[in-house]
Amino acid sequence: MPGERPPPLTVVGNPDNRRVRLFLAAATAQRCPPPRVVPWLDVAAGRPVEVAPGSLVRIDSPGEDAEVERALRKADRPAEPGEIVGFSAWYDGFAAALLRVAEAARFAGADLLADPADLLVLFDKRTCHARLANAGLAVRLALPGAVVSYEALRVALRQYGWARVFVKPAHGSSASGVMALQFAPGRVVATTSVELVRAGGRVRLYNSLRVRRYRDERDVATIVDALAPDGLHVERWFPKAGLAGRVVDLRVLVVAGRPTHVVVRASRTPMTNLHLGGQRGALDAVRAAAGEGHYAEALRTCVRVAAQFPSCLHVGVDLMFSADWRRHAVAEVNAFGDLLPGLLADGRDPYAEQIHAVATGRFAAWRAAEAVAA
Amino acid sequence: MTIDEHLTQFAGLPVAAFDPQGDAPADPSGFAWRVSTDYDGGKEEFRARLSGLVDSDWAGSVRALVLGEWGESYERAAPIGRLVKAADRLTGLRALFIGEMISEECEVSWIHHRDITPLLQAYPRLEILRVRGSDGLELAPTRHEALQELAFESGGLPDHIVRSVGECDLPALRHLELWLGTDEYGGDADSDDLAGVLGGARLPALRYLGLRDAEIADEVAAALASAPVVARLETLDLSLGVLSDLGGAALLSGQPLTHLRKLDLHHHYLSDDMARRIVDELGAAGVEVDVSDGQDEDDGDRYIAVSE
Repeated sequence: MPGERPPPLTVVGNPDNRRVRLFLAAATAQRCPPPRVVPWLDVAAGRPVEVAPGSLVRIDSPGEDAEVERALRKADRPAEPGEIVGFSAWYDGFAAALLRVAEAARFAGADLLADPADLLVLFDKRTCHARLANAGLAVRLALPGAVVSYEALRVALRQYGWARVFVKPAHGSSASGVMALQFAPGRVVATTSVELVRAGGRVRLYNSLRVRRYRDERDVATIVDALAPDGLHVERWFPKAGLAGRVVDLRVLVVAGRPTHVVVRASRTPMTNLHLGGQRGALDAVRAAAGEGHYAEALRTCVRVAAQFPSCLHVGVDLMFSADWRRHAVAEVNAFGDLLPGLLADGRDPYAEQIHAVATGRFAAWRAAEAVAA
Repeated sequence: MTIDEHLTQFAGLPVAAFDPQGDAPADPSGFAWRVSTDYDGGKEEFRARLSGLVDSDWAGSVRALVLGEWGESYERAAPIGRLVKAADRLTGLRALFIGEMISEECEVSWIHHRDITPLLQAYPRLEILRVRGSDGLELAPTRHEALQELAFESGGLPDHIVRSVGECDLPALRHLELWLGTDEYGGDADSDDLAGVLGGARLPALRYLGLRDAEIADEVAAALASAPVVARLETLDLSLGVLSDLGGAALLSGQPLTHLRKLDLHHHYLSDDMARRIVDELGAAGVEVDVSDGQDEDDGDRYIAVSE
């Protein structure tokens, strides 16, 4: 209820990361008691997880910390900056770590603001896609079954007659390892931020900040073969709408069932991620191009997507409009999609919005309603 | 850069998507009708839509047609045969765009074409023809009395197309655009291939010449220095290419360009100094000069605006 005393909070995150700093700042501004910060490194390294008794537990991204990443993968050495390694091992470590957090929360009588089960679906593009498809939500068709190699990918694409696809590491995020592939007789081009490095007979892949194109099929095959063992999700390409010379899509943050913050991402490449040269675009222009009716419908899709993850206080839905603006489709659902610095809605940034949704009881009410609906 | 947005206007008309299930429009001649399919609808949907339009009661009133994705356009050529067959239905057609796709649908250099000569023969009253993409494109030298605007948008226009255009008799043509592109995508024309166009003998009405998106922009600029066609132009458009100071100097030292209304050089690699000289010299004569969107070399490489 409005005016109700804000609950104690715990944040599982990387303490020096701006995500955590921004959340703590929002909590202070909302006059919450200072949240307890549980470093991801403690969780990942198997040290005791000290959740504040009776608190609400926010789990934030373990990303952007090489040591946490190493610990989650249980690897000997941290990855080199940008190096793409062990998505699958990372996912297993992440799953185990989430269970430790959940156990610690139960022990402390605390309540999670996102359940491990939902988070793990959100971090597996295959199961996430299947969940949305089963719910009748607008997603692209995806190849069923595992894609174990480039050769297997070619066979499957021929079988389905698909010439343009997005190939995504099942457990990747931030466009890491994502390739937009196009085939025509005798030619292939892959558009991707992956940098392929062959050195000393070894193949290494790096995330670069530059989207590049590979036209030599041997390079494309090498990259796909390097990524395939960690699991691939392959979707048909959805030709996206453009505005002012850029391809656009939306990041829609849904907090407790409400689409609160919307960002237009505009890019000169098929990848609209802001770190890959994407820019924030003009929402008014998108609404005008899509039409208010279709725009509202698209936001309703995002709300329905969020309802598929009813334990999650927030999800960030990446929504694409078709080139003719008549249709839309969900590209991705992000568990940690709330880093939208400086974006205010009703005067609240995404973190303040979440605290507000919790403090007013809106989240509890929505979660209960969705649980009944499910 | 790539082409990322669909046209909203064509031939001076607003573009409207044709919906075979929709009601007959009150004014079929008031729109440029867009017929396209998407990745899911495939070629069947395109076929159904084009047939729907061609078989409609008002087909004869259609003035402008925009053909987008026709289904697997990366390997299936533009539906020229179907358009030729439809000529006795589309009797009012004056403006046609073939291949109006954005790079999200099909990269410009992948859009597949075939011989478009039969199209020009089947539509003797066509006034505007724009074609995007050049893979597989063929054109035989032709005479066409009505054509006023002809444009080939491409990431690499084959030399034989460039030569054929120069050998066409186009007495009414006012506006010609050739996006020459790069030889990486089949744009293998050189200034010799442009001789017919630059001579202008068969293009008496030409007022707008666009030799755009050209990796050979400097060579084009040098050839323009003495090209007979230049004297009759109002607009010279060398935009989207890799024009450098070499080409800029050629423009300044060649035949006078002061009669032009507009010189469009946007997207170029001119130095600030050279850009200023061109603007100063021609601007003083009343020429509108566009030197916007200057590019910086990337490790010594220069890139045209539209390629892949």
